[in-house]
Amino acid sequence: MKYLVILIALLATSLEVNASAKGAYELYQKDKTKTRDKKIAHELIESSYYFSAIPYINNYLEKNNEIDAELEADIETLVIKTGTMAVLNLDEKRLEGFNIPSISLILGTRLFNKEQSAKAYEILSRIPETHQFSAEAALIKGTIRNLERKNIEANNLYDACIKKASALEESSKGEKLKRYYDYLKETCIIRTARVKIEEKKYVEALETYEQIDKRSYKWPYILMDQAWAHYYLKDYNRALGLTTTYKSPLLESYFFPEAEVLMALSYYNLCLWDDSLKVVDHFYDVYQSKAQALKEILGKNKTSNTYFLDLYYADPEARGNLNPFIRNLITQTRKQVKFNLDLASLKAAKDELQLLKKLKNKNDFTEMLEGNLDSTISFISAKINYYIKKEIFTFINEIHKHSFSMFNLKLELLSKKRDEIYNAKALAATDRNRGSDVNVKRKTSQYYFDFNGSFWADELGDYSFGLQTACKDSSVAKK
Amino acid sequence: MKILIIITALLSFAAHAQEEKKNVIYKYKEYEIIDLGSLEIKGQIMAPGDLTVNERERQTFKRSLLEKNYFDFENRREIENLR
Repeated sequence: MKYLVILIALLATSLEVNASAKGAYELYQKDKTKTRDKKIAHELIESSYYFSAIPYINNYLEKNNEIDAELEADIETLVIKTGTMAVLNLDEKRLEGFNIPSISLILGTRLFNKEQSAKAYEILSRIPETHQFSAEAALIKGTIRNLERKNIEANNLYDACIKKASALEESSKGEKLKRYYDYLKETCIIRTARVKIEEKKYVEALETYEQIDKRSYKWPYILMDQAWAHYYLKDYNRALGLTTTYKSPLLESYFFPEAEVLMALSYYNLCLWDDSLKVVDHFYDVYQSKAQALKEILGKNKTSNTYFLDLYYADPEARGNLNPFIRNLITQTRKQVKFNLDLASLKAAKDELQLLKKLKNKNDFTEMLEGNLDSTISFISAKINYYIKKEIFTFINEIHKHSFSMFNLKLELLSKKRDEIYNAKALAATDRNRGSDVNVKRKTSQYYFDFNGSFWADELGDYSFGLQTACKDSSVAKK
Repeated sequence: MKILIIITALLSFAAHAQEEKKNVIYKYKEYEIIDLGSLEIKGQIMAPGDLTVNERERQTFKRSLLEKNYFDFENRREIENLR
């Protein structure tokens, strides 16, 4: 009985889809008015052919300036289902003329990424506070004010983002949508904590970070922020503990060259020159050669539109053989929202193409739809490929940037060691006490775990070293 | 013509006479005594009584180590990765 109901439901859906596709075909054939493209797009959206509707929406907006309520709802649906591709072919000048929230969000984001912050802020301000896109708009606007060092305004916008995203999370029914709003909310919470660090309110910042659940997508990233806050509070042992957390097998795919620099800096501030030097040398051993290997891969495949996407689809062993970093880099990339949205779009577009191919009544209209969809699929593939390529490129740049920091630190370390030799002092490494509970600073809200050579998931984020400072001047090493 | 010859002769004679005048020989004193003790110098004596070197801390050159004052890079990337 259950199967029969499902079968009937499936049949009914398929008939409905066919009927609406037929409706779109009839409009294509008979309608000669200037609103034809808009109507075809509406029919296609109604029958869930979202990607097929994109060219018609774009064509209509290219030639017409009016957007009625139905079209606004259609564009909003397209933005939710296909992302920023809804108005892909329209340039910024053209989009500026349309004052609807979905287009304002796309245009605002596009302008922000092109570093036209003032214009982006103005466009995003068009989105009403009650609208579902207002959480994202507040986040981007907050970022703009944050970059301009207008912290009060930035904080207000981040708070608005938290409130709106929380409300939307509660009211949303779909699990994915709930997760997205939760992600937005946490991003905005983290932003308020970062503003506090920028204002040197480190203790307050650390309290704010505690709001992020350890199971959150964002959690591995905030370890770095927290480590910096502890570093500026001169709790170098805690900073070391947090950066070491990235070495746990659970966080294997999260690697930040900056974490290595912070680790070396923390040892440096404890006047443990040899430990610091070991981290510096390890950085050069591990990262330099990998960066070179990645650079070669990038160079060889820079013109390909599919190479990096194919790497994503390749099995982990094949990826690992090529370069051990690739697997982890792709795992890290997979956790990015944009990548997941684009990948979901690619899958949805491919499914839609299959549906079109299965239609019984083929005609010039369905052929055109298939052709358009093929181009859209190629475009999305190239976009994801470019995204992975850019991630690798950014990673290489990060290594180079931090190599410079490490080089300076190494010079400082050698200079400190030389000074000690000149002053006939015994080098610290010879007689220092290797860790003790006495040196661990701990608040009542922080757990305490003994580290016995293995990482435990519930302990992550609470590690602290217990090293005794080797500085003669007990305050800090003279920088 | 005669007059012209006379004038030319007179001019050349005058020039010759001037050259002869220039040939003057100056003579300076071969020996002079300057009594420094009787010379008076006005002003203050600035030279220190004895030589001293002020102790100062050795100059150290600080290299710029990594600081994290802002999160601009991370914040921008988060927006790029949003949609």
